[in-house]
Amino acid sequence: MNGTILRAEQLQAFYVLDMFGTRRVVKAVNGVNLEIRENEVYGIAGESGCGKTTLLKALYGAMDPPLRLIGGRVFYRVNGQDVDIFSLRPNELKQLRWEYISYVPQGSMSVLNPVIKIKETYRDFLESHVRGKTRDEIFEMAKEHIAALGLPPTVLEAYPHQLSGGMRQRVTIALAALLKPRIMIADEPTTALDVVVQRGVIQLLKGIQESLGNTIILVTHDMGVQANVADRIGIMYAGRIVEEASVEEIFGNPLHPYTWYLINSLPRFGDKGMRESVPGSPPSLITPPSGCPFHPRCPHTRPICREQMPSFFEPVAHHKVACWLMGEG
Amino acid sequence: MAFIRRYLIPRLIQYVLVIFLGVTAVFIIPRLTPTDPIAHTIAQIRSQGAYLDPATVDQFIQDLKELYGLEGSMWDQYVALWRRLFRGDFGVSFFQFPTPVSVLVGRALPWTVGLLLTTTVMSWVLGNIIGGLAGYFSRKRWAQALDFTAMVIRPLPYYIFAFTLLLLLGYVVRLFPIAGGAEIGRRPEFSWPYIKSVLWHSFLPALSLTILGGTMWFQTMKLIVQNVNAESFVQYAKLGGVKESIIVSKYVIRNAMLPQVTALGLALGQIFSGALITEIVFSYPGLGTLLYNAVITGDYNLIMGITILSIVAITTAILALDLLYPLFDPRVRYR
Ligand SMILES: Nc1ncnc2c1ncn2[C@@H]1O[C@H](COP(=O)(O)OP(=O)(O)O)[C@@H](O)[C@H]1O
Ligand SMILES: [Mg+2]
Repeated sequence: MNGTILRAEQLQAFYVLDMFGTRRVVKAVNGVNLEIRENEVYGIAGESGCGKTTLLKALYGAMDPPLRLIGGRVFYRVNGQDVDIFSLRPNELKQLRWEYISYVPQGSMSVLNPVIKIKETYRDFLESHVRGKTRDEIFEMAKEHIAALGLPPTVLEAYPHQLSGGMRQRVTIALAALLKPRIMIADEPTTALDVVVQRGVIQLLKGIQESLGNTIILVTHDMGVQANVADRIGIMYAGRIVEEASVEEIFGNPLHPYTWYLINSLPRFGDKGMRESVPGSPPSLITPPSGCPFHPRCPHTRPICREQMPSFFEPVAHHKVACWLMGEG
Repeated sequence: MAFIRRYLIPRLIQYVLVIFLGVTAVFIIPRLTPTDPIAHTIAQIRSQGAYLDPATVDQFIQDLKELYGLEGSMWDQYVALWRRLFRGDFGVSFFQFPTPVSVLVGRALPWTVGLLLTTTVMSWVLGNIIGGLAGYFSRKRWAQALDFTAMVIRPLPYYIFAFTLLLLLGYVVRLFPIAGGAEIGRRPEFSWPYIKSVLWHSFLPALSLTILGGTMWFQTMKLIVQNVNAESFVQYAKLGGVKESIIVSKYVIRNAMLPQVTALGLALGQIFSGALITEIVFSYPGLGTLLYNAVITGDYNLIMGITILSIVAITTAILALDLLYPLFDPRVRYR
């Protein structure tokens, strides 16, 4: 098994909002433990609003107000050493960015500067990290990179608005791979794209991961995409990871009732029956339910579910689940 | 070429149409008001104590009609107006009879344009640079101090601000002259002493306009920059570790400039309406004073001349803006 490249311990990141004197705290990431390995695609899935984007921001060390680190730590494995990213000085963190870890944000359609050409954006990222290159050499690097990933070279001369949504997404993914980082974080890269375009984006991500042999943390609520790309999957619910296993285990043997619903809401080929989506509505992250946060929507609720948050059980090797149903054997 | 057919021609048509409608309005509006300029003029002369016998009055009415272009039917008058405009003839001023309006305007124009062009451009450049930096570094002490200063200056009525400057720097500390555009008695000529005198005299009005204008640009720019700063492409560049100098100039300021370029174009068009209060406070010769006097004395030809000039100036500024804007914003193509 590959070594751990990114580790989160009891990570808590809340949005602390001060609205006209009343404090509201959104507990978006509430005690997450993760061990992500080298050379794997780690998928994070869950309904929208469960804290996936916030978790990624925290893993990336991007804590801008109102988001605040409440507790826990995140370590990167850099040159054989564990680096606690929240203890780094801003410029040390800045150095890791793009060269060691890069980020494809949610809504990548609008992350490109609208008034400059794509090649200028590439140049800005390259110039900020690579020293002693002339303008022409920089453009040459960008061109080679784009070509190697199978994108048309003409995109470099285009402005963002001249490209389709799918092409912009691919340009952003390619940009994240520019400096061959060890870890890439991709937030909903296929959302809002039609199926054919989605396939191209997935292909690009997979291709990059295979050629760089690096780690991709892929967030998407689309279980179909997860099944396609991920090696391991973490299921997120109300700011916590509630189940984690290999993709085969998750789809073949889902243990958490929430996971079961997520998988069964997928349309299946030849199946015309109604899909069973998760009953009820997503929990509030300001006042999360007591005990297991899924209990108000769970068909198997027991008294203990209302009182205590279950810790992880590992009923099958490397298959962890936080559910009282598993706890009793 | 598609550019000429689809972009240039429609805008030129629009340009001509706006000027045409503007001039037509300038023609119609005085004719809708109940005051009859001729009766008004005669009454004014009478009120100054002059005795006019009926024959003189008749002759006078005839002269005035000719002067104001009020002979013949409405249509004749309208056609005559256009004919005169194409010759650059705005008629003669009544109260500085028989100086042509074009001469009066031509005399005042260099003063106004010289002062306002300089101050508009200067306050735009300064306000945008300082406002841009203050917006980007809005959490810094100095940025908040600047913001506070702007909040104090901005609500001051201009005339109070201008008078205070005049009192402080003209009377109390006699640093600058208190009135005029140049030393009295100096003949306009292209020589260093004359230019020096002009600069010297225009310093206070220019200072007052630059500070107040600059404050306005500062505040808008600061707000725009704060908004652009929150845009995802700026956040993204930050997450990507792009150098701060690049982010400030190429990502934030570059995008924030777009609305300010538009606003500058309009401000430049406004120049030709003069700066009435500045000119009055500092007794500065210019279009504002000229227009003011024209209104006070009911000098219709002069009012019409200046109004048409501003209409043409503003529409020209808008046209120029339309033609130049795509150079700044690639999303707006020449279509
Ligand atoms: N900037 C913000 N300020 C306050 N609350 C936020 C902010 N961003 C997200 N949230 C809240 O945090 C929770 C988690 O959001 P997010 O991490 O974006 O979820 P996901 O990516 O799974 O859809 C949601 O309840 C959302 O409303
Ligand atoms: Mg999200």
